[in-house]
Amino acid sequence: MTTVPAQVRLLLMRNLREGIRNPVLAYGLPVVIPLTMFILVAKTLSRVTDLPGFPTTNYAEWMAPAIVMLTAMTGVGYAATSLVIDIQSGFLDRLRVLNARPSSLLLSRLLFDVVRVLPAGLALLVTGLILGTDVNEGLVGIVLLFALLLLWAAAYGGLYFVVALATRNAQAPLALAPLFLPLQFLSTQFVPESILPEWVQTVSAWNPFTYMVDAARAVTTGPLTWTPVGKAVAVAVGMLVVTQIAAGLAFRKAVNPS
Amino acid sequence: MTDTVGTAAIEAEDLGKRYEAGGVDALQRVSFAVAPGEIFGFLGRNGAGKSTTVRILTTLLRPTSGCARVLGKDVVAEPAAVRAVLGVALQEAALDELMTGREHLVLAARLTGMSKQAAGERAAELLELFGLGGAADRIAARYSGGMRRRLDVAMALVRRPQVLFLDEPTTGLDPQSRRALWELIRRLRADGATVFLTTQYLAEADDLSDRVAVVHAGRIAAVGSPAELKEQYGTTTVRLRASGGARAVEQVRDATGLEPVPAGSDGWMVLTVPGGEGQVPEVVGRLTTSGLPIDRLATQPSSLEDVFVALTGAEIESGAGGGGDGALSAVRRGMGVTAGAR
Repeated sequence: MTTVPAQVRLLLMRNLREGIRNPVLAYGLPVVIPLTMFILVAKTLSRVTDLPGFPTTNYAEWMAPAIVMLTAMTGVGYAATSLVIDIQSGFLDRLRVLNARPSSLLLSRLLFDVVRVLPAGLALLVTGLILGTDVNEGLVGIVLLFALLLLWAAAYGGLYFVVALATRNAQAPLALAPLFLPLQFLSTQFVPESILPEWVQTVSAWNPFTYMVDAARAVTTGPLTWTPVGKAVAVAVGMLVVTQIAAGLAFRKAVNPS
Repeated sequence: MTDTVGTAAIEAEDLGKRYEAGGVDALQRVSFAVAPGEIFGFLGRNGAGKSTTVRILTTLLRPTSGCARVLGKDVVAEPAAVRAVLGVALQEAALDELMTGREHLVLAARLTGMSKQAAGERAAELLELFGLGGAADRIAARYSGGMRRRLDVAMALVRRPQVLFLDEPTTGLDPQSRRALWELIRRLRADGATVFLTTQYLAEADDLSDRVAVVHAGRIAAVGSPAELKEQYGTTTVRLRASGGARAVEQVRDATGLEPVPAGSDGWMVLTVPGGEGQVPEVVGRLTTSGLPIDRLATQPSSLEDVFVALTGAEIESGAGGGGDGALSAVRRGMGVTAGAR
């Protein structure tokens, strides 16, 4: 009998291998939207920094950490769709008969979503550096940035699992894709909180993405203080726990209809 | 294991499954036992409850009532222990389109706990056995229907199961592959495995099965060896030729109490005798006693198909309430299969 960690490793390898056979969709797509947005926004809105109270003169530098975090939101979803396809094709039944635990099945998929985001995050970071972003916090900052990115990808990806498993429809996660649009505009991604209209400030305070963006800036462009990082970790972990519990329940219902 | 000696390989007791969505009873109080080493045919029309039964026995679906055991282990309470002895090939070949044949088998073997090397060896062995050696490193999306089926059955055998469930394994296979699979099933039985087989091919069930159960509208309609069922529910056809024209027909009717049907103009007629071939001597005896001049006589034995039709009805739509197609679509819905999704 295999243990859950051994099963997760085997199933994750399967997912990664499949991703390599479908590289554009699996690893390429997460890059496209953030990269396009980054370059367009950095070039067209560069004079936003002239606004009084804007903390930097290089708008690309302001955007870079946030756009790295954005790759988590444009990158996830593939795994949730694959999971529903496994249910529909009967392959999931095959794995269950081989005694693959539900937690192994879910965790291996979730980890795949997280891994998929890495190349995208890296590509955007490099683009940011080319556009003149100063990473004042150095290598430690970059490591922390990617730790936050992976955590956020896992938390945000959980939403896709809940929707996919609750509807048991492989296309349903696609409908969730545009969610990143309001979340980024109603956060501190584009401008500092002080410049946001008052009602947006209120919404932004309830928007988990705000905390991720603030923490991403703190660990890269600095100054590195632990309060924003702690808040971001708390928000992401909370979201991760809630979505994974919901996904686990939906999974149970999906495989055992009544 | 000593604690399973003397117990049935597969036992179902009052098994019931109700899908709340649609209020369909897919199974109602289904009971049967399969002896160790037996090939057990499980027959029924589309939507009769075959797949629901297989899904419950293989721990994939929880019954709403009753219980089931495989080698003495309860399928609900001890699913891991049951899975450890199972090999399963479900109705639709369950493959991952982007994985090669070899990768499928290695993954399955590794999940059962085999080392990397042992898994590789087992995979190579099965690929060879199922004639997939040449396609081993091609992805499943490029496999033909028959190859997909064979790979699916090969996956069921990865862990050398003690109890093997095959849900319509020969559907879509060409005659050669079908024969090879029959041969394999017999060989597995000879090695001591128990085989639970569903099929739409009744001649296949007749050939292979030690016993069969016919399930209809979510209930067991009959269980027994093919010969027993034919004796009980089948009909034997007797063709005979007697001189005497219309009077001969009447004489046959009087002597046997059966309704002869004239066939052709030269004195042939057909008698449908209820039961198996065991009933024929008595009928012939009565005809002989009656002094009718019979010059030709041939019998056509009962087939399992006659039994099947007798038990499950001749109309195309089963319409037998309960476990009709609604049950199947409830399963599909439950599993999230939407029309046109594939």
